[in-house]
Amino acid sequence: MSIKSGYFMKNLHVDLAAGRCEWRGLSDAFVERYIGGRGFGAKMVWDNLVRLGFQIDPLGPENLLVIAAGPLTGAYLPSSGKCSFVAISPATGVYADSSIGGTFGVELRQAGVDVLSITGRAERLSILLIDDDEATVVEMPELAGKTCLEAEGMIKERLGTHDVKIAVTGVAGENLVRFACVNADWSRNAGRAGMGAILGSKNLKAIVVRGNKDLPIHDLAALVAEGDKAYAYMRGHKYFKMWQREGLMMVMEYASAAGILPTHNFKDGTFPRVGQINGETMFNGYKIGDTACFGCAMSCGNINLVKQGKYVGTVTEGPEYESCAMLGSNLGVDSFAAVLHANQLCDELGIDTISTGSLIGAVIEGYEKGVLSLADLDGQPISWGDDSAIMTLIHKIAHREGIGNVLADGAYGVIRHWPEMHKLIVHVKGMEQSAYDSRAASSMALAYATSDIGAHHTRAWTIAKEIEQGKNWSDEEKVNLVIYHQSLRPLFDMLGVCRLPWIELGLNEEHYARFYSAITGREATLGELLALSNDVYDLTRLINTRLGLTRKDDSMPYKVHACPIQTGATAGKVIDQASFNRLLDLYYSKRGWDADGAPPANVERLHGECAAIG
Amino acid sequence: MARRLTVIPELCSGCRICELTCAIAHFGVNNPKKSAIRVLVTYPHPVMRLPVVCSQCKLPLCADACPVGALRRSETVVKLDRSSCISCMKCVEACPFGAIYAHGDLDHPVKCDLCDGRPKCVEKCPKSALRFIPEESLGESKRLNNILSYTHMKEIEFTEKGEQRTIRYAEIGQEELP
Repeated sequence: MSIKSGYFMKNLHVDLAAGRCEWRGLSDAFVERYIGGRGFGAKMVWDNLVRLGFQIDPLGPENLLVIAAGPLTGAYLPSSGKCSFVAISPATGVYADSSIGGTFGVELRQAGVDVLSITGRAERLSILLIDDDEATVVEMPELAGKTCLEAEGMIKERLGTHDVKIAVTGVAGENLVRFACVNADWSRNAGRAGMGAILGSKNLKAIVVRGNKDLPIHDLAALVAEGDKAYAYMRGHKYFKMWQREGLMMVMEYASAAGILPTHNFKDGTFPRVGQINGETMFNGYKIGDTACFGCAMSCGNINLVKQGKYVGTVTEGPEYESCAMLGSNLGVDSFAAVLHANQLCDELGIDTISTGSLIGAVIEGYEKGVLSLADLDGQPISWGDDSAIMTLIHKIAHREGIGNVLADGAYGVIRHWPEMHKLIVHVKGMEQSAYDSRAASSMALAYATSDIGAHHTRAWTIAKEIEQGKNWSDEEKVNLVIYHQSLRPLFDMLGVCRLPWIELGLNEEHYARFYSAITGREATLGELLALSNDVYDLTRLINTRLGLTRKDDSMPYKVHACPIQTGATAGKVIDQASFNRLLDLYYSKRGWDADGAPPANVERLHGECAAIG
Repeated sequence: MARRLTVIPELCSGCRICELTCAIAHFGVNNPKKSAIRVLVTYPHPVMRLPVVCSQCKLPLCADACPVGALRRSETVVKLDRSSCISCMKCVEACPFGAIYAHGDLDHPVKCDLCDGRPKCVEKCPKSALRFIPEESLGESKRLNNILSYTHMKEIEFTEKGEQRTIRYAEIGQEELP
């Protein structure tokens, strides 16, 4: 059955070099096959690569940046505020997408844009203005060097209105830091893979949107009925209030107890002073407000204020678990105020908290072990928990000063500069690992290794389940779980919604097929949607293999195989190379890929025959 | 009993479920911009989320500004008569709180009608930041808040059915309401 509603069927294509904004129609086949968000992005990035003959500089004007919410974004259902940024990543050199919460995607949809694609480079620093059906590129060179919030304020002042949503990149994006992020709604970020650097490379400081349109919904009554069921389920969940209270910060305590909390650059699995940087401490000493993305009842965001001491006056939304672990325990920092301040600095300057925490951790360990000299550190020593030195390093990365200029090139850049550092940086494909220690669970190592964007937990997050239930899992069970996650979790990014109601409160994933059916008028089962998501996974794999990745890039770094976790419930754990290879073999064969990880020829045919614009 | 729709901004998360609920109930569209309650976030200090909604004033300036008498207070609600509205939007500008809204698709302002006495936004708010309370209870949470901060108490601890519990001050208003 075909699509009846749910889309404006519009692609806004912006060529910054020509200063031209063009509205193009989408084909039925495109929206049916790729759904939205990451799906739209993957297909358009693939088409662009075919045009370029797979010769691409991620920071060149030819790298197409695709920004797309999904058909569920902004609709009456839980946590419908997601939007994906898709491009070839300057951190990894291959396919990447990064999603952002808040309200930016909703506004983009309400302006009538299903998918925004941006190419070229503006001559002077500019912003893109989208006001319902009108789009223009406006030069604003005065935004140079401004932080995200400053730039947002200046843009609103110039436009004379607060009633716009802005996605903006900070100083780091302008300086092409390879893990610079895109910021919206104050503290929400498309954090990973360097989407901010891509904006910087295009001389585009911000995308400003105002949209007033009704969202196209096929059967609003059916959507509201299904949405109400989902909301009622969430509000009845025993952990619902706890989520509103602490959000993802409650994971700190769990991760430390389970022995998977990155501590001292993934040396330890537990942090003895976790109590000073956990959710309880945050709630009692710092929290002054709650934030949520669009349509979200769980409101996992926390607004925190430092009320006394060295960092008094620091106020920001966050940190959430990843940021708190990577800028806290991973650096040996036991002051929540310092973590909060580091988080705010990263948001304001526009760099990813996970990559930043990981790289600074590697620097501290490198200096401790003598891999880096004092001269390498510009004469300023650094040690675990040295918050002042950490703040200085964050500034240096964003401004590319001294050692910051090396760190700003990400894991690959650091290893190129100091080859010995490969033993200390935990990354896959050049993306630094998220805050779950993969040595504790081999399925998690497989998940990171085979994630299309690198060592990020967005594709599959199997670690908690394996620790709790997986002692006697067979290889097959592990591989099946990873593949199921890699189908379902990216589906959320295609639909344009958050996965937390499902993964954290257990909202049944079947709801999403019913939301999709009510909105588009195309009756689809969850199985059918998962198959489409799987097709996109094959496509991103194909993009990566065409760009030169092979089996050796689906591997975990030195530390994961050679250095056991030192302390905590998982002490002594390490990933055995031979059994990892066995898992990878099985994974490839279950996916139908060859022994080198290349997808079969029919994948290219399938994606080649569909034209996006029609 | 006269009831008022009131807002506790400290509790609002900015999820905008109220906006969606209002637009769906009154216009049958999934469009948060067609809502009589809108959540404002201010920059450059985006710390507070403030839902802005009509207070149903007893001496409504919006009605004074209306040249055709389309806005009238009846019992507890200032009601808009769409058939006599001439779409001048003077009421939108006259409201001291900016709590009446205009939208390009509509030929009349968007104004809260309290859903005939059962405001749907209050039912759907996941944070209990919106309350529909007796007029006499207005300001109660602020009063309690003040007393508690005066005595340096942030939470009250008490025992219920043998279980140790605490209430945060902002929830006290709710606990005492019928």
